[in-house]
Amino acid sequence: MVGQSREITTGMKIAIAVISLLVATAYFTFLDWGAMKIQGLDYFYMFRK
Amino acid sequence: MATITKQARNKIWAFLALGTFVGLLLLPLFLSLPAGAGDTPAPAASTASAAAAPADAKPVEKSRDVWYKTEGPVVGAPAPKTTDSAKDYPRYNFESRVILWVALQQHLYYGSFVLAVPIFCMIVEYLGVITKDKALSRKYDQLAYDFVKISLTAYSITALLGGIVIFTFLTLYPTFFGYLSSIFRPVMATYALLFIAESGTLYIYYYAWDKMREGFLKWIHVAMSVILNVIGTVLMMLANSWIAFMQSPAGVDADGRYLGNVWHVIHTTLWNPINVHRLLGNMAFGGGVVAAYAAYRFLTAKSDEERSHYDWMGYVAMFIGICFLIPLPFAGYWLMREVYAYRQQMGITLMGGLLAWLFIIQAVMIGALFLTANYYLWQGMDRMRGAERYQKYIKYMVFVLIMCFIVWLTPHTMVMTPAELKAMGGQQHPVLGNYGVMSAKNGAINTIITTTVLSFIIYQRANKIPTVKWAPYGNAFLFGLFTMAYVNIIWLAIYGYYIPANVRVGLSVPQVASTLSCLFIGVILNSIMLKGAKDVGPIVWGQISVRGQYALIMLATSFTWMMGLMGYIRSSVRLFWHVNEIMRDNSPWAFTHTIGFGANMISFNVLFFWLTILFVFWLGSLGVKKVPATAPVGQKVPAPAGSH
Repeated sequence: MVGQSREITTGMKIAIAVISLLVATAYFTFLDWGAMKIQGLDYFYMFRK
Repeated sequence: MATITKQARNKIWAFLALGTFVGLLLLPLFLSLPAGAGDTPAPAASTASAAAAPADAKPVEKSRDVWYKTEGPVVGAPAPKTTDSAKDYPRYNFESRVILWVALQQHLYYGSFVLAVPIFCMIVEYLGVITKDKALSRKYDQLAYDFVKISLTAYSITALLGGIVIFTFLTLYPTFFGYLSSIFRPVMATYALLFIAESGTLYIYYYAWDKMREGFLKWIHVAMSVILNVIGTVLMMLANSWIAFMQSPAGVDADGRYLGNVWHVIHTTLWNPINVHRLLGNMAFGGGVVAAYAAYRFLTAKSDEERSHYDWMGYVAMFIGICFLIPLPFAGYWLMREVYAYRQQMGITLMGGLLAWLFIIQAVMIGALFLTANYYLWQGMDRMRGAERYQKYIKYMVFVLIMCFIVWLTPHTMVMTPAELKAMGGQQHPVLGNYGVMSAKNGAINTIITTTVLSFIIYQRANKIPTVKWAPYGNAFLFGLFTMAYVNIIWLAIYGYYIPANVRVGLSVPQVASTLSCLFIGVILNSIMLKGAKDVGPIVWGQISVRGQYALIMLATSFTWMMGLMGYIRSSVRLFWHVNEIMRDNSPWAFTHTIGFGANMISFNVLFFWLTILFVFWLGSLGVKKVPATAPVGQKVPAPAGSH
């Protein structure tokens, strides 16, 4: 129905933004770990030593 | 019936032509196969003598490859030990190296241009074929034709310059050139054959344009452009094998004796990194030159129609050029990494020693390139109504770019007097010195590239409003992707300060992966979101400030200068060797020039190239009777796939 599309509230916008940040964080952490692992290096070197 | 027969005949001819091209392409490979067989004994050393006098036959001498460490039969003479004499280094009353420098650099500029432009042609012609809009299809086709027309004259100049390079080598460095030719004989023969194949293909490609304009023949024509580019790329790779061999020799023993395996002398450790780096660099350079041509035509245009056309042409060329500029620093990083892996001292000479300040200049140039590219995109937003929504973000992007630029060009150590050294407490500044290390610089350049990608995404959506249902989620995802990419890149840069060098060096890979994630995921997602998007206003081609056009000229000049600089750096790192650790340069010019002299020489080469290429452009313009049909000013003219 034209003009009756569901409005996204501010709360939902914040929730979506937070979820997207969490997804991106997980993605980049995995990327960092994987990219180091394929080089035979330890991404968590500092935290283990 | 007669039409069908004619069509069938055309198809047969087209297939025959294609088959001939493919055959020509593969012929050198077949010819080089016997020479490439590593364990085939050389005729001189075994077959002939064995048949003639088996009793007197000496055992074939074997030796060890300096790089591959494999054993092979010695089939070549040792590298000559030259002396500073007229025999090895005949000369005029001038520095021979400088003469060769100019000849090689000009050949390289033109060679890069004629390698890149047909690739552009291929892309643009293909876009024309797959585009359903007939008017736009014709426009792309005309653009591709204009490109190849320019490259045709440049191609002749490239061949002439190639001849000058050979004569310069023969007359000024005969001993060295003789040695190199003795090793690369099959490669040089293949090169010559491929050059003939490329010339033939290029001329047929150009002159058959009108005849092969429609239907199936058009596809054959596009296929011909693919073959043309394959030949061009193989030519470049063969030429690269010579310089790669000079820098990191393989396939010879410690005395420089050829061990009969042509693949080893071609496939040296730096060959592939140089291939990738050069291909990307050539494409970015070609894009810059064509964009500068379009900018020049825009600035001198007499009508709005002309301005509209050349604005569009400049944008297309710049777009393709930037697509290849973005991965270029990564290819450069790979090359440097391989240089360090080959000889650590060579890497240190390049980036931390004698040539380090040239790298600082290079950093300035790269920073300027990305700043200019961003500036052009922001100026290009003038063409679109609705772009003003994004203007407010530009100042933040300028801030990020400038800050990263400053970090990116911070030197590791300073050239100082003893008093200055004492006052500062060491070679590194206590604060700024922290930004002169690779950890900070990797973070800076990745942030610059990510910001450029962001600029492009903003440009893509400047006059559009996404209408897909999931647009809010897509926007949120883009926000999360870019925010966390920035956080991740900076985090990895900081993390690098706290871990040992052998682990730190690996952090560049996830940094690059973060940037590439933004590039691929961001641009693809944005493009999908913009399918069927609501237009706020059309793209008014021609409505861009002249500053935007000057930015294109600046881009092209920077590319040209940087190519000259990087070629000089790569060549200089051999120091006093013709072939690193194999054949010593005993000429009086086996020293490293001062930075000032080097910079002046590069500037001279850049000026010379631009003067001559202007002549080429002028020649190209003589045949143009009128401006190609374009959409009227104010009418929407789609840009390359993925941009609008």
